[in-house]
Amino acid sequence: MYHRWLWPAFALPGVLWLVLLFIVPFYAVLGVALGTVDPVLFQPVPIWNPLDWNVGWLSEVLTRLGPGGIWFDVEVRTIVYVLISLALCLLIGYPVAYYTARHAGRWKGLILILIILPLWISYMMRMLAWVNLLQLNGWVNSVLMFTHVLSQPRDWLGGSASTVIFALVYGYIPYLILPLFAALDRIDRSHLEAARDLGASRWSAFRTVTLPLSKIGILGGAVLITLPMFGDYYTPNIVSGSPKTTMIGNQIDLYFHGGPQPTIGAALTIVMAAFLLVLMLYYLRSIHRAQHETGAVGAL
Amino acid sequence: MARGEIELSKLTKQFAELTAVDSIDLHIPGGEFFSLLGPSGCGKTTTLRMIAGFEQPTSGEILLDGTDVAYTPPHQRNVNTVFQNYALFPHLNVNDNIAYGLKRAKRPKAEIRERVGKALELVQLQGYERRRSSQLSGGQQQRVALARALVLNPAVLLLDEPLGALDAKLRKALQIELKSLQQEVGITFLYVTHDQEEALTMSDRLAVMNAGHIEQIGAPQDVYEDPETLYVADFLGVSNLMQATIVRADTSACHVALDGYELETRGTDRDVTGEAKIVIRPERIELEEHGSPSGPNRIPAMVERVVYVGSAIQVIVRGATGEALQALVQNTGGGIPYEQGTPVQLHLPVDAVRVLPSGTGDAPSLEGEEPDPETVAAG
Amino acid sequence: MTGVAEPRARPQPTTRGPRARPQPTTLTRFRGWFRNPWGKPRFLRVVTWAYIVWSIVPVLIAVQFSFNATRSRTVWDSFSTRWYWGDPVDSVWHDPTLRHALVQSFKLAGADVLIAVPLGVLLALGLARWRGRGSGTSNFIMLFPLVTPEIVMGVSLLLVFSHIFTFVHTGTLAQILGHVTFSISFVVVIVRGRLFSIGRQYEEAAADLGASPLVALRSVLLPLLTPAIVASAAVVFAISADDFVISQWLSSGGPTDTVPIQIYAATRAAPLPSVNAIATIMMVSTLLIVTAGFLTWRFFTRGERRAGKAAEDFGGAFDLT
Repeated sequence: MYHRWLWPAFALPGVLWLVLLFIVPFYAVLGVALGTVDPVLFQPVPIWNPLDWNVGWLSEVLTRLGPGGIWFDVEVRTIVYVLISLALCLLIGYPVAYYTARHAGRWKGLILILIILPLWISYMMRMLAWVNLLQLNGWVNSVLMFTHVLSQPRDWLGGSASTVIFALVYGYIPYLILPLFAALDRIDRSHLEAARDLGASRWSAFRTVTLPLSKIGILGGAVLITLPMFGDYYTPNIVSGSPKTTMIGNQIDLYFHGGPQPTIGAALTIVMAAFLLVLMLYYLRSIHRAQHETGAVGAL
Repeated sequence: MARGEIELSKLTKQFAELTAVDSIDLHIPGGEFFSLLGPSGCGKTTTLRMIAGFEQPTSGEILLDGTDVAYTPPHQRNVNTVFQNYALFPHLNVNDNIAYGLKRAKRPKAEIRERVGKALELVQLQGYERRRSSQLSGGQQQRVALARALVLNPAVLLLDEPLGALDAKLRKALQIELKSLQQEVGITFLYVTHDQEEALTMSDRLAVMNAGHIEQIGAPQDVYEDPETLYVADFLGVSNLMQATIVRADTSACHVALDGYELETRGTDRDVTGEAKIVIRPERIELEEHGSPSGPNRIPAMVERVVYVGSAIQVIVRGATGEALQALVQNTGGGIPYEQGTPVQLHLPVDAVRVLPSGTGDAPSLEGEEPDPETVAAG
Repeated sequence: MTGVAEPRARPQPTTRGPRARPQPTTLTRFRGWFRNPWGKPRFLRVVTWAYIVWSIVPVLIAVQFSFNATRSRTVWDSFSTRWYWGDPVDSVWHDPTLRHALVQSFKLAGADVLIAVPLGVLLALGLARWRGRGSGTSNFIMLFPLVTPEIVMGVSLLLVFSHIFTFVHTGTLAQILGHVTFSISFVVVIVRGRLFSIGRQYEEAAADLGASPLVALRSVLLPLLTPAIVASAAVVFAISADDFVISQWLSSGGPTDTVPIQIYAATRAAPLPSVNAIATIMMVSTLLIVTAGFLTWRFFTRGERRAGKAAEDFGGAFDLT
């Protein structure tokens, strides 16, 4: 409508805020990572002119991340943790989302509330809950000993990869279920009925109709949990004290809080961010392609 | 100066690669019920929105009572709109919805109360003031939308397919109401629709639009009986089109040749030579018994199909000239007089056949496949 | 040519056709169940409810232990409110660290709502209606925080406050600035979703009836946006209260630590049930606010439910497709 200046004027404050406190900070990371370190004070000296950028620290980081580098193990471990967690989340989350979307009937509203509930419960609280349960004298050990699965209490929190993965799954799975539910809920019942009408068994109707149509939801959920998971450092710290289970995020955390070497930390952050950007673009392309296949329309 | 006079002058609207409205000229004197008729995408809604002010024209003028309002914001024009889905404000009740425009004009409270009351009377919804739009039926919502627009005494009322969301019976009842409302209030109604029956029923005059331009303007009877282009002939009702060769043409009568048969048709002042199409409406074809005395404008034919639509009977015949024609016979209660596969004789009365120059536009796509029994029966 | 079909004969029961079924007895029903105990809906139902239990019960247990009479978080003794206000040293009420954490969390969340919601609403309106150059870029900038990992944001904010905007030191101000930055996008997405479902029709109707764009905004659009604005405020509160990474990275220690930071620190040390208590308080507050937001949404959109829009809008914010 008229008054063309009105709407951009509305958008201005928000955009300005985001530019100053979101875009500019990225530049600060670049400036520090591609800067130098004062040899006397061990302080980072950021370089703001792109022409003067020093890639020394960046290549140092890449070396450490490469095969044989000191961070290679951590890197591989992170990827393994994330992939296994994603797989488990899908394994558990898909049936739940599917049931809620298609079979829940009159329970649907209640189940939906119960599934959304964890999103509003603080992540820390949910981790705290399991830390309590996994103590040496906690409920998990008590129950397992009572049922004679274990003969003595097991140390779950002392540095176990499976505990970390378990915690990641527990923590992130609600963020997968919701988009998955949304995608499955949207699938028109008549598509399935048509498939059955044309002779498909229940399983093959699922395989040939529901699964492809829910691809968008799977991808969306996968994006929503794997990107943050790559940057997670607090989960391993909470459920496992050990350096044997650290993830890449822990490395960054260390370089900022554990004996500050911000320059390396910044450089590592950039590499990780670049990696996630590539991942993000790949996801976007897949979603785009899946949308074309199913004719779904986006809302963002 | 007539109140509510609209003049569109070379009005054009272009969206990226699409020309929605292509330099149309239109003059509507005040007080008329005027319809813009055409299929989706023909530009009628865009034209309406430009007159209302929601779209800015690419070029051209919109003269409202002599003043060009093409670049005036919508809230400053003396034109009001009834939207397709009514757009009643959900957070206001009926009374506040109708009063909205008056409040914006800062009228005194007493005056607002009085005018809202009168508007409710006009649309027969007294007593509904406190209701919310979600508590109203479709027809009631439409009437509130009308009241809301009319209470401001606009010079022109724009209606954007307002009856589209209602069921058939309600629609017919409201068509009559709208027409009598317009006559009562006396302002110009500009009505947009794709339903040709609606346009024919309600309008004083109508314009048939196609792909951004106007094909024909005229009173319903003229447009229906005297289509000037192939498109108009085919869009309004069923048209029986036949290919023919002009033998002789002048303003009093034309003679055409169709596969060995010669027909006399109405005269035309268009310049027609060579190949042309002739058109006749189904209800004008007279069916005579096989073996009736032959004469001018008579063609033998075979009955291909008979369709019973209640108030009338469609008889699809294949003329000796090779073309399939549809004739419409009123149902006089005597059973179905024609049997599939029997011969008949067609009489095409001279003043019912019209000549259209070949190449006068394209026929509308998807029209004329299977005539809509409802439209035919009522037409 | 459609001829008139012969009237079909009534299907006679034959030996080939389906046998007449006897009335189902308890025995046959049990047999039916047994034959297919893994019938898809049943299996899925079990998995779903098992998931729900696994997801929620641990938290309920943690809440339960916040009321434990002893210092143990793992062995239940009896009900007591000692960790909330009873214990003169270690309860939430008396322990300054815990108290400050609670206050700080509410402070940040409150400030976040007061700043991010107006900014976000304005931004949503601007982006939804802006047609010109720059709108695409602005939209992209707005979406970015939603997909940026928190640690990247934490690092970048820490560095920008250390090297560029050095007048901002770590502490409450920095934390607020950080919270608002990641919250704005949530507000925009929620409000924009609502704007999208409202459409332009009401603004056009208002303009048609004589309202200038600003007046139309105030008298028609904002009232209709109220549910989305309230819902986004509830969401912002929740994500601010839950935030750990940004709060930690921009904290200057001590009283600027929030509840999640306290919980984090405590789980790595030897915590008392008071940490359960503080977590419970935060959780209940958030849930109350979210519920209030949701109920407000339903209240304000009650008129539209006949048209069938309702709760999908609220959950639709999570739909990424």
